Amino acid sequence: MAESDDLGRIIAGCKDGDDESFSRLVGIYAGRCYGYFYRLTGNKETSDDLLSELFVKLVGKIGRYKGGSFDGWLFKIASNVFHDYLRDKQRQKRLLDGRKEQLELEKHDGRQSYDERVDKLQEQLAKLDDETRELIMLRFYSQASFKEIAAMRSEPIGTTLSKVHRGLKKLRELMK
Amino acid sequence: MAANENNENLKDLVGRFFDGEEAGRVVEDVRGGERIVREYGAPEPDSRLIADIKGEVGRALAERKSRAFRRAVYKAAAVAAVIIIVAAISVRLSERGNGEAKPIVAASIVPAAIWESEDIAAADAELGTFVGEIEELEDDLLALELGENGGNGYEVIEELEAELEEIEGVFWKG
Repeated sequence: MAESDDLGRIIAGCKDGDDESFSRLVGIYAGRCYGYFYRLTGNKETSDDLLSELFVKLVGKIGRYKGGSFDGWLFKIASNVFHDYLRDKQRQKRLLDGRKEQLELEKHDGRQSYDERVDKLQEQLAKLDDETRELIMLRFYSQASFKEIAAMRSEPIGTTLSKVHRGLKKLRELMK
Repeated sequence: MAANENNENLKDLVGRFFDGEEAGRVVEDVRGGERIVREYGAPEPDSRLIADIKGEVGRALAERKSRAFRRAVYKAAAVAAVIIIVAAISVRLSERGNGEAKPIVAASIVPAAIWESEDIAAADAELGTFVGEIEELEDDLLALELGENGGNGYEVIEELEAELEEIEGVFWKG
């Protein structure tokens, strides 16, 4: 409760244009948003760009936040930032090429370090279709409930549950 | 990081869509899959990136404040300009009533360069609307001057008053 009161004060400060409140908001959410972008793009530089874009965009949009789950609201914007990025055809092509290169590199290396463990998940995530991968990452990093995710995507909760279940089931099989 | 710390009762939710054993398997698939994502984690943004983002946000905030101030100044100037135009119309009609015919001297406290600037109109849609409304008022004024309204000056004045009230309402709402 104290945590959500604190977040409420930070958000109010951001709405008033307080620089320090925005800095605190960046501190709270940067890690999760970065993880979300990284898992969707598999590229650190792109994730850096998307994270910057998200928070700069937030400066203009924060006034429109009218309560409810802030995490859900923020990740909806993050999802839009990611989709804007995908719409850029050139970038999309680079993303696909990058994934291919990444898979090739991993095939030729037998060692198991922490980074490779991370990459192993990335490799298997790349085998899921785009929508499923995005849904799983949205659920994990936004920590939103199925009800909130269904509302974000304007689809019935049963549809969201079924897609996430199928995706996670497949991911478990791929990771065995 | 723990995924979905949101008081959601997954078993209850899944139970609404799946029966008995199948519901159990679905819950296990969802929890097991999310456990894998959690175990493998993702890279963290580095501290330089965070510092850069905070700097960018600071610049965006400063720009937002300057834009808000500029908008307030333009709105005030727009209302002042409209008041001057209407005052000129009133004087003109009053003079016509007295049988005198003097040319209208239109005065504006807003430099023409501001209204003609495409940059400002593009940067501020609301300013564009105000400019449009003032131009409409100026057209009405010209119609009065040329007698295109069939001599019915009071009807035009009423229309102008209604438009002014609307503009004033928008102005005070900010």
